[in-house]
Amino acid sequence: MSELSSFLFDPFQLEFMQKGLLAALFLSLSGGLLGSLLILRRLALMGNALAHSLLPGVALAYLFFPDNPISLFFGALLAALLTSLSSALVTRLTRIKEDSAFAALFIVFFGTGVVLSSKVGTLVDLFHFLFGNILSVNSSDLWLTAGTSTVTLSIILLFYRNILLETFDPIFYRATGGKGSIIHFSILGLTALNLVAALQTMGIVLSLGLFILPAVTALLWTNRLSILLIIAVFTAMISSISGIIFSYHASLPSGASIVIALGFCFLLSALISPQHGMITRFLRTIREGKNIFHTPN
Amino acid sequence: MNHFILRFKNVSVEFGQQPAIQDLTAQISCNTMTAVVGPNGAGKSTLLRSILGWHPLKNGEIRIGDSHAHHALPRIAYLPQRTDIDWDFPITVRSVVEQGRFPSLGPFRRFRAEDNNFVENAISEMGLQDIIKRQISTLSGGQQQKVFLARALAQGADIFLLDEPFAGLDIKATEDLVHTLQSWQNRGRTILSVVHNIELVKQFFSFTLLLRTNLIGYGETANVLTETNLQSAYGSLSYSGAET
Repeated sequence: MSELSSFLFDPFQLEFMQKGLLAALFLSLSGGLLGSLLILRRLALMGNALAHSLLPGVALAYLFFPDNPISLFFGALLAALLTSLSSALVTRLTRIKEDSAFAALFIVFFGTGVVLSSKVGTLVDLFHFLFGNILSVNSSDLWLTAGTSTVTLSIILLFYRNILLETFDPIFYRATGGKGSIIHFSILGLTALNLVAALQTMGIVLSLGLFILPAVTALLWTNRLSILLIIAVFTAMISSISGIIFSYHASLPSGASIVIALGFCFLLSALISPQHGMITRFLRTIREGKNIFHTPN
Repeated sequence: MNHFILRFKNVSVEFGQQPAIQDLTAQISCNTMTAVVGPNGAGKSTLLRSILGWHPLKNGEIRIGDSHAHHALPRIAYLPQRTDIDWDFPITVRSVVEQGRFPSLGPFRRFRAEDNNFVENAISEMGLQDIIKRQISTLSGGQQQKVFLARALAQGADIFLLDEPFAGLDIKATEDLVHTLQSWQNRGRTILSVVHNIELVKQFFSFTLLLRTNLIGYGETANVLTETNLQSAYGSLSYSGAET
């Protein structure tokens, strides 16, 4: 028993691990909620594009203020807003659809980011931007993450009805006097904010894992949005804790370990979920096949 | 004599340079079932959306009772075509019907006994009591249609704008929907519905508004759906483009 408790709690005796864990738990809360909305609005890939487009902002901030985490935050935020605004402009003013505009712009931004990173820092810096490092989370990062998470939670709870209606049936929302574009851009804005907050912990490439994987896992277990949000947050938190413990003992990168823990939850759910899992579907198909075979003429 | 609940006065709508509705004038009475009929591109859906204020009018005005349309949104329930819905969305029948109360509650007001009554009455009026806990993708096409009609009822609206509600329904579900709309009319509600099936209109809709961007005819169905009017609407050869 003491071995188990030492396995579970030893990592968190260290202050930087405590900070890393807290940051990951805050991100799990807002990432689980926001990821659920992104997948239901079919914006998962757009979130991925947005995450990649942060790189030039981070690299430029690193160039001018190399030791200031707040400047990284605002550099990334600026890049995210620039991508969102440019894709909105391209969508409104040309025939290009929003997802294509995001895809086109993110790859340009990402390429620019790689060039800037290679000029302003070392390969280690580039890796840090791309994959994060939970051990480097300091007090300022933690406050930014806590603030972002609180803002996200508050907005989603306060405007839950509006967000639910607009996500489920935007035409009904509009017909009853709602402004869909406010909800849409608020969700994109919150996504950008959370991706930026996740930068130190998870990095640009892996951060969306903490948003999307808990949400797709939860979707396999429930038919109610409120329960889906709770399961998504719970999955993200459990995976973050187990991923960090695993990374500590096996000396592996923490962000990638969290994503692997999330991936394990997702694959297990995809297999065994009683209503929407592969095994259930497989058995149902066989059963229905047999029924067809036995149907009288 | 009936009161007019929907008044179109010289209404014109354009998309770019393309006219979508031209100089439409008509007055729709309370407590009636009116079919909006016409070929594709005649401006039928545009007409419903213009009532909601989604398309700016180039000319004319639309009034609901004595108000401008956008002041009367709570009185209107709009049902778009069923294809616009993500049926895999994690939501149950009851939760969809409850959404009907959201516009009047706003984001912050709590769900009260009065709101619950609206929801319960809508569920029982549409006969959904046995399926309230089911996820919406597990329902038949007819049941799905009823869930959205129940949400419209829960809104407390008295004017219903339906865009092709019969599309994709089998004969039984079509009959059910017709009976539902007739019972709504008997309870004092007004229904304006885009319908493609001319025979259905002739059988069940007392009034018809026949469009081909301009108004071909409006009034009692028997007087509007004449051979001459249908040929004017659907083209000189025949009106075979319409479902019969």
